[in-house]
Amino acid sequence: MKKYLHFLGIETSCDETAVAVLAVEPEDGLGTENKVQVLKSLVSSQIPIHIKYGGVVPEVAARSHVPETVSLITQTLANHPIDTMDAIVVTRGPGLATALNVGLEAARVLAAFSKKPLIGVNHLEGHVASAWLNAENRARWEFPVLVLLVSGGHTELVLMRDFCRYRIVGRTRDDAAGEAFDKSAKLMGMEYPGGPKIAELAQHGSPSAFSFPRPMLRDGSFDMSFSGLKTAVRQCWESLPHRPMFNEKKPDQLFCDLAASLQAAIIEVLVEKTMTAAKKYRVKGVALVGGVSANTALRETLQTRLQKDLPSTSFLPSDRAYVTDNAAMIAAAGYWRFQKGDVTDWSRIDVRPEWNLSV
Amino acid sequence: MNPFILETILDGDAFVSTLLPMLHPHTILALSGPLGAGKTTCVQALARALGISRIPTSPTFSLVRTYPVKHHPSIKKLIHVDAYRIEYEEDIRVLGLEELLLEEGTLLCLEWPENVAKWLEQQSNVVRIQIALASDGRRILVQS
Repeated sequence: MKKYLHFLGIETSCDETAVAVLAVEPEDGLGTENKVQVLKSLVSSQIPIHIKYGGVVPEVAARSHVPETVSLITQTLANHPIDTMDAIVVTRGPGLATALNVGLEAARVLAAFSKKPLIGVNHLEGHVASAWLNAENRARWEFPVLVLLVSGGHTELVLMRDFCRYRIVGRTRDDAAGEAFDKSAKLMGMEYPGGPKIAELAQHGSPSAFSFPRPMLRDGSFDMSFSGLKTAVRQCWESLPHRPMFNEKKPDQLFCDLAASLQAAIIEVLVEKTMTAAKKYRVKGVALVGGVSANTALRETLQTRLQKDLPSTSFLPSDRAYVTDNAAMIAAAGYWRFQKGDVTDWSRIDVRPEWNLSV
Repeated sequence: MNPFILETILDGDAFVSTLLPMLHPHTILALSGPLGAGKTTCVQALARALGISRIPTSPTFSLVRTYPVKHHPSIKKLIHVDAYRIEYEEDIRVLGLEELLLEEGTLLCLEWPENVAKWLEQQSNVVRIQIALASDGRRILVQS
């Protein structure tokens, strides 16, 4: 029986605290035959507070990662002792320095005491690796792969020629796609962040009811811009003769039409840029990762376009369970780094709040 | 300085040349205005004027971004902060802004200062910008 390698992943780069254990059977290093199992994946915001702290809520600011990190690591190590780990993986950046430091210091202490190797990974590499957690994607994973990374904070087109080799070929010049969803929803009187609500309403609306701009669609670059959508949505909203209040239970058809039109504009830009880049770089796979990739219309549109225009290119979307920030994806990226021998001494590792993915 | 109103369609450059002499190390530039008013666009124009090569993107999600400044005698870095997602004012401590402000040559651009009003009152060297939307463009109120 082949030995599984175990990786403890720790993620605290921004809002979420997450801890996970990943087991990989490295049959052929970084080949397509790897058996990969997420043994545990805890994400703080998804755990009720009384379970996290056993009824005692600590007196700390809402964004403090310290008690969350301690709680999640304690729960994880109870079932998966540190002795069984082959490496400890932690997000070094990009992110908020004070938040990153919490995870990094926890990982540093664990590595120092357990004498296990420590691996620092890029948060965006983690998102890329989230697509590789899916077994069907792994079986079809052939380089070059183009990754569309879309979330509340990131909108990037990443060209991947090998594991751990990335080049950002396009990115947003202002707002992230997820932010465009969230802030446009706010402008229509919905709670922030209203991105998922927009996707839901859009199912019942007409995408051609309103005409929103598709900036930079044919400018020849793979860069994007979503900031102008806010102005367009505001002007559209203010020009309406009748502006109903947003009622969560019984939304006016107007909101469905606005949502569908807005979503169509964002998706068209994302899909067109991805398709053009996929053709230019002759990629064998297109991965779709990040929180916005939970959007069903985006998944379906990109998949349909790939099937039609590039039928030999595999569509590699992350499972919905791993699209938002989590530590299983961090552990997976850590496994890639482990295979390349990219291990850092616990006494030398530091955070990199402005870390770029391109290497 | 008394407040003054600058009427402009926000193309940036004219506005920035007025603003730049008011900015020094350890200054906080507080930018107010509704969603889509052009706060980040202002910071982008400022970044270009300061010779920053990587043009700032929205910091709403990341909260804090740092950009090294090349073409200024005393400002060495621009810190771009967005308090839009700060729900409880005490959460601003997590951003570590006091330490960042103490570092040499730091200029701090702060969007949505309303969300951290109490914290901002305790700071010295604040330049306030209020962007209002008008039918013919934007009106910008500057106060220091």
